Amino acid sequence: MSHSNSFARQDAIFARVTQFFALIVLATLVGIIATLVIGSWQTLTQTGPKFFVSDVWDPVRSLFGGMAPLWGTLITATIALIVGVPLSFGIAIFLTEMCPPALKRPLGTAVELLAAIPSIIYGMWGLFILTPLIASIQPTLTATLGKIPLIGVIFQGPPMGIGVLTAGLILSVMVIPFIAAVMRDVFDTTPAILKESAYGLGATTWEVVWNVVLPYTKTGVIGGIMLGLGRALGETMAVTFVIGNAYNISMKLFEPGNSIASSLANEFNEASDPAHLSALITLGLTLFALSFVVLALSRWLLSSLTAKEGKRT
Amino acid sequence: MAFQVSLGENAAAVASDTKIELKNVNFFYGGFQGLRDISLKIPEKQVTAFIGPSGCGKSTLLRTLNRMYSLYPGQRAEGEILFNGENVLDPKHDLNALRGAIGMVFQKPTPFPMSIYDNIAFGVKLYESLSKSEMDDRVEWALNKAALWNEAKDKLTQSGLSLSGGQQQRLCIARGIAVKPEVLLLDEPTSALDPISTARIEELVSELRKDYTIVIVTHNMQQAARVSQHTAYMYLGELIEFTPTAQIFVKPKDRRTEDYITGRFG
Amino acid sequence: MSSKALAANPIYKRRLWVNRFNMTMSFLTMAIGMTFLIWILITLFGKGFAAFGTALFTQMTPPPGAEGGLANAIFGSIMIVGAAIFIATPIGIMTGIYLAEVGRDNRIAKLTRFINDILLSAPSIVIGLFVYAVIVAQLKHYSGWAGAVALAIIAVPVVVRTTETMLLLVPNSMREAAVALGAPQWRVVTMVTLRAVKGGVVTGVLLALARISGETAPLLFTALNNQFWSTDMSAPMANLPVVIFQFAMSPYEEWQQLAWGGALLITLAVLVLNIIARVLFRQKSN
Repeated sequence: MSHSNSFARQDAIFARVTQFFALIVLATLVGIIATLVIGSWQTLTQTGPKFFVSDVWDPVRSLFGGMAPLWGTLITATIALIVGVPLSFGIAIFLTEMCPPALKRPLGTAVELLAAIPSIIYGMWGLFILTPLIASIQPTLTATLGKIPLIGVIFQGPPMGIGVLTAGLILSVMVIPFIAAVMRDVFDTTPAILKESAYGLGATTWEVVWNVVLPYTKTGVIGGIMLGLGRALGETMAVTFVIGNAYNISMKLFEPGNSIASSLANEFNEASDPAHLSALITLGLTLFALSFVVLALSRWLLSSLTAKEGKRT
Repeated sequence: MAFQVSLGENAAAVASDTKIELKNVNFFYGGFQGLRDISLKIPEKQVTAFIGPSGCGKSTLLRTLNRMYSLYPGQRAEGEILFNGENVLDPKHDLNALRGAIGMVFQKPTPFPMSIYDNIAFGVKLYESLSKSEMDDRVEWALNKAALWNEAKDKLTQSGLSLSGGQQQRLCIARGIAVKPEVLLLDEPTSALDPISTARIEELVSELRKDYTIVIVTHNMQQAARVSQHTAYMYLGELIEFTPTAQIFVKPKDRRTEDYITGRFG
Repeated sequence: MSSKALAANPIYKRRLWVNRFNMTMSFLTMAIGMTFLIWILITLFGKGFAAFGTALFTQMTPPPGAEGGLANAIFGSIMIVGAAIFIATPIGIMTGIYLAEVGRDNRIAKLTRFINDILLSAPSIVIGLFVYAVIVAQLKHYSGWAGAVALAIIAVPVVVRTTETMLLLVPNSMREAAVALGAPQWRVVTMVTLRAVKGGVVTGVLLALARISGETAPLLFTALNNQFWSTDMSAPMANLPVVIFQFAMSPYEEWQQLAWGGALLITLAVLVLNIIARVLFRQKSN
C-alpha cells in the first residue's frame, strides 16, 4: 500500500530529524571538551602536572600555577556544604514533619523561589551587607576563637570582611534552597504507612526522620547534596564579589583568596599573553572536570546504594 | 440463610477481662464525622475483629486506639478510651509510651529500609538498652514468635525488602512483638498478600492471642470468622453490633448485619 | 510494659529530650533560612526601589560619577535572552522528543541523556569560555550573538529534561490508541502526546528563560558590554547582569545604585517567570 509506505518514509524522516537535534547536544559537549583541551594545550605540555602543585601566579613573569584557585574552589565549596547541609536538612525536616499545614505551601514555595534568585544578587548582598558585618565581628573572633591551638588559625586574617570564609558563607546561603528543596521533595516521597509503622512502635518524630525517612530517601538526599556541591564548585558571581581576588593558599579563612571561577571572571578578558590565556583555560578545564567528577560520583554512589539495598519486591 | 460462613474453633468466646474500653467515642476528619458514639469493650488476650463495608470507619476506629490519627492535623477524637485505666484520648497522655504498649501492623508490609535484624532491634532500642547477646536473643525470640525464624535466620543482615510479601508482613509482626506490647492492632494485615501467606498470618494470629490482646480490621468476613472471638460490625461510622463471633455469623441481631454477612450488600 | 513504667524509663526520657532538642534545632534552621531570605529581599527591594524612576528605563548607562539609567542594558538583555531562548527551544524540544519517543533506550539516547546531565551541571563560566573560543576568538570581536549562543547552551538541557519528563508522563495507552488508528509516529507525537503535555513543555521553556535571565558569568567573555544603545547583535552588547557586576564592584555611588536597580529588575523578572511557570503547571496537572 502506497499509503503506509509513505507513512513509513515520513517516520524515518521524523526519526532522523529528532536524532539530528540530539546529536547537536552531543556535539556541544564534544566541542566544549575539545575547545578546553586545545586551549589548555600550551600549559599542559609546557608546565605539565606541575601546574596543579604550583602556587605561583605571576602574569608579569609569565609564571602560572593553578593550585591557589583550585584550593580556593575546594575550600569555599567545603565551607558551603559544612554550613549548608545541616541547615538544609533542618529546613526540610521542618517543612515535612513540623510545619503547620497552612504554612507548608507558602514556606515551601519561598524556599523554591529563593533557589531561583540569580547568583549575582547573592554576590551583591554579600559584598554590601555581609562583608561589612563580618569585618565588624572579625576582630572579636580572631581575638577569641583565633587563640585556640590548632584550629584557631582558621579564624585569623586581615579584618576586611572579604575572603574565603565570606565567599563560603554566601555560597552556603545560595545552595541551601537547592539542597533543602530536593530534601523536602524526597522526604515527602516516604510512604505515610512506613512512617506510621515507626510511630506505631512509639518512635519520636526525630527517630522516624533519622531511622526511617533518611535511610528510605538516602539516594535522593545524596543527589541533592551533590547538586549543591556542583553549584558551589562552579559558582562565579556569588564568589567573585567577596573572595578578594588574591592568589593565596592559607588555612586562614579571613584571608582573601581566589576560586577558579573568580580568577576567570576577573582576568580572562584582560589576559593577552598566550601563556596566561592558556593557564586560565586550563583552570576552566579543571573546573569542568571537577563538576564532571561530582556528577559521576553521585551517579556511582546512587547506583551502588540501590544495589546494596537488595531486590525490592 | 443464603450464605453460611464456616466458623473456626477459634470462634468460641471465652469470658475474659476488658483490656480496652471505649466510651462514647466520636471522631472527626475536619468537619466530617467519621465515628458516631462508639462504646465497646475489647477483651484481654482474645481476638476482636472489626468488619464492615469500605468507609464504615473500622480502620478509623482502630487508629483511635493508638492515636495514630494525631499525626494528621484536622483529625480529632472525642470521648474516652480507657487502656489500663487511663484515658488514651487525654491530650496529656504520653503518645510514645502508648504506642510502645500498643503495636500496629498495616495493610501493606512496611519493613524499614534497613536489615532484618535492625528492623526488629530498632523498636527494642527505643525502650531498652540490651547487650549484643541479649539483643540477638530478643531478635530470635521475636522472629520465632512471628514464625519467621527458620526462613530468616540465615539472612539477618540482608535488607528487610529482600523478603517476600508474606515474610515482610511477618517481619512487621515480629517487629511489633519485639517491644513486648500488650495489644496488637492489625489493620487489614493480609489485604496485600496471596492466599498461602494469608493462611500463615491467620495461624499466627491465633497463636499470638495466648499472649496478646489483638484487634484486627478485615474486609474479609471469613477471616473474621476464622480468627476472632468477638466481632464488631460497623456501618457508616456507627457500631451496629458487637457480639461473640459465633453469634454474629449464625444469628445476627440486626438486619443490616445480616444483609452484610449474607452478601446481600457490601 | 505499662505506659506508666515507660514514662519513668531513663532511655525513654533521653529519647524525648533528644527529640525535643532536634525539633527545636529544625525550627531554628527554618527561622535562620527565612531570616536570610527576608534580609536579602528587604535589602534588594529597599536599595532597588530607590533607583527606580523613569530615568532607569529611558537613559543610557552613564560614565563614572554621572547620573543615568539602564535602558541600553535592559534592551540588550531582552535581545540576548530572547535570541537564546529562540535558539534553545527547538533544539531542546526536538531532543526531548527524540529521547522520550524515538530513541528511548537505544545507545544514542542513553548517551545523549547522560551528556544532557553533564551540560545541566556544567559551570556556566566554562560555557562562556567555550563560546569565547569558538565565536569571539574566531571573529575577533565580542557580540550579542555570542552571548545568546552561550545562554542557549545553558537553556537547552533544561528544556530537554522537562520535555522528556513530561512526555514520559503520557500514558502508553494514549499512544497505542493513536497508533491503532493507523497514524504515523510523527503525527502521534505532534498531534497527541506533545499536545497532551503542552503546558508542561511551556513550563520547561519558561524555567529555562528564568534560569538564563540572571546568568552573568557566560556573558562576561561573550556579549561583554556596551556603553551605548545598540541594536546590532553582531557587536558587543550591553546587558543587565554584566552592567550590574561592573557597577556594583565600582567605587562610584551612582553606579552602585544603578546596580541595585538592575538587580531588582532581574529578580522581579525571574520571580514573575517562575510564578507564571508554576501557575501554568498547576493548571495543567489539575
